[in-house]
Amino acid sequence: MNTDQLMNIARNIRREIFDFTVSAQAGHLASSLSCVDLLVSLYYDPITLFAYQKDIVIFSKGHGSPSVYPILADIGIIEKSELKKYCQPDGKLKLHADWSIPGCYFVGGSLGNGLGYASGIAFKKNKRVYVILGDAELYEGCIWESLLFISHHKIDNMHLLVDRNGMGILGKTEETLKLEPLTDKFSSFGFSVQVVDGHDYEQLRLALSRKDEKPMVTIANTIKGKGVSYMEDVWQYHTIIPKDKKLIEVGMEELS
Amino acid sequence: MKSHRDAFISELFNRAKQDSNIILISVDMGAPSLDVWRRELPEQFFTAGISEQHAINFAAGLSSTGKKVYVYFMACWTARCLEQIRYSCAMPGNGITILGNSVGLGYSPAGPAHNPTEDIAYMKSIFGLEIYSPATSQVAQALVSLTCGSPKLRYIRFERSYPEILDETYPNPNERALEGGILEVKSDKNAQIGILSSGYMLGRALGLSQDLKEMGYSTSVVDLFRIKPINTSLLKNLLVGIDIIVTLEEQGLCGGFGSSICEAATDMSMKKEILRLGLPEKYLFDNGNREHLLNSNGLSSRDIFLSVQKFLKSLDSNYLSNW
Repeated sequence: MNTDQLMNIARNIRREIFDFTVSAQAGHLASSLSCVDLLVSLYYDPITLFAYQKDIVIFSKGHGSPSVYPILADIGIIEKSELKKYCQPDGKLKLHADWSIPGCYFVGGSLGNGLGYASGIAFKKNKRVYVILGDAELYEGCIWESLLFISHHKIDNMHLLVDRNGMGILGKTEETLKLEPLTDKFSSFGFSVQVVDGHDYEQLRLALSRKDEKPMVTIANTIKGKGVSYMEDVWQYHTIIPKDKKLIEVGMEELS
Repeated sequence: MKSHRDAFISELFNRAKQDSNIILISVDMGAPSLDVWRRELPEQFFTAGISEQHAINFAAGLSSTGKKVYVYFMACWTARCLEQIRYSCAMPGNGITILGNSVGLGYSPAGPAHNPTEDIAYMKSIFGLEIYSPATSQVAQALVSLTCGSPKLRYIRFERSYPEILDETYPNPNERALEGGILEVKSDKNAQIGILSSGYMLGRALGLSQDLKEMGYSTSVVDLFRIKPINTSLLKNLLVGIDIIVTLEEQGLCGGFGSSICEAATDMSMKKEILRLGLPEKYLFDNGNREHLLNSNGLSSRDIFLSVQKFLKSLDSNYLSNW
């Protein structure tokens, strides 16, 4: 599958996320859009090491987890009709994914905890465990407790994917509370770290197909609200979902 | 006599030798019973360092893969990882067993940070979590079978020390009592007053029973070593004919053991006069050992007796005949 094909898939997925989030007026749209290419690379690029039939993805960044729903529908793990019922009483798909949804393995909604939980699942080493972390989630202290543990126990079947969209709710991380130098921090904890453009499929392919004897971290530099021009990198869109008819039309058009 | 903790961990070690699914995680806590475990079963033992939140998350993840996981730390730190217990264990249904060492004022004179005096209140608020508070090492040891046999989210509160009177008085817990979570430790004929307690304070309960006997009152002393859920029907049966209940706890009264008894009494339409005795609602910075702090905070044997006397005097005159 070539880059153009992957980009087309990503565009469709973003459109579906936009559509069901706007319809339900519920969710964290901008945070869901930023990590779509990471997921598309994992699930659709056959060169990456991830195999959804046996490996698992833990959405520690639970508020971004709706981004995986269109993928799960497309590969047949959930019914496509569920997308229309997102956050509805008769639907299975929640604002934060949880274990009741096929293909999801963790309760979303409380940041920082997915990493330690994932280390427990990964410990048996019978599968690869990918953890989607938000960058602002890295402020949680238990993240760093877990990093120490994972590194010490050489849980090398774990791959941490940091959705580095550079923003928390109140603005840019480097202005509100500095996270950098993140590479040095992860390296000093004993991880193999790579930094990629989180919207570049060539870079993602390389990063997600690489093996290492150490547990791995991929810091994927992304754009919050990616794909919808008026949302991109605008911190107010963390919780705001377009409601205005015109804005919805523009969004749908840009993602078509 | 072994400590509660060592009685439990030694028995768990025996089980772990036969069952590789049993995993023990220590949050940088030692114990004589752990030394042999670390030596002989290193694959089934982890130290998580001083990181309660990660320890619980890791344990929950392991539990989701079918392991029987035990996390051992100081009971006071349950507050520190309450979110992880709620979120990673209770919500997805990961049944780990939390072994909390030294409850109440057990670590005195270490100060209030080390002494969990509200842990019953906040832990019982977690949906589906069971709380056990054994008074003797026999009960602590017997709980191993329960936790291995049917893993569930449980919190076991180990006493660091316990009064000798319990060794002399406490009956051997049979299987039925263990299932019910309640054990009648002592019962006078035609008991008028039920003294309900658990753990360390059961020693005070037995002392109170003796004091009241000398005043002509008959009592029943009941150990509710399973604090949540309380077996309300069994409790109701035990309290037939008893109109007055005294609860004794080494906790603040807000949401503690006594409040659970009041809730049970209401739920079962048990019309009882209930006196709750526990610690004052303040953090105890005073120096002194456990006994000293209990005695200087309204829970000396004498103070307990006087509180009960005052309570009885406030009730209907039928109860006053012996004063």
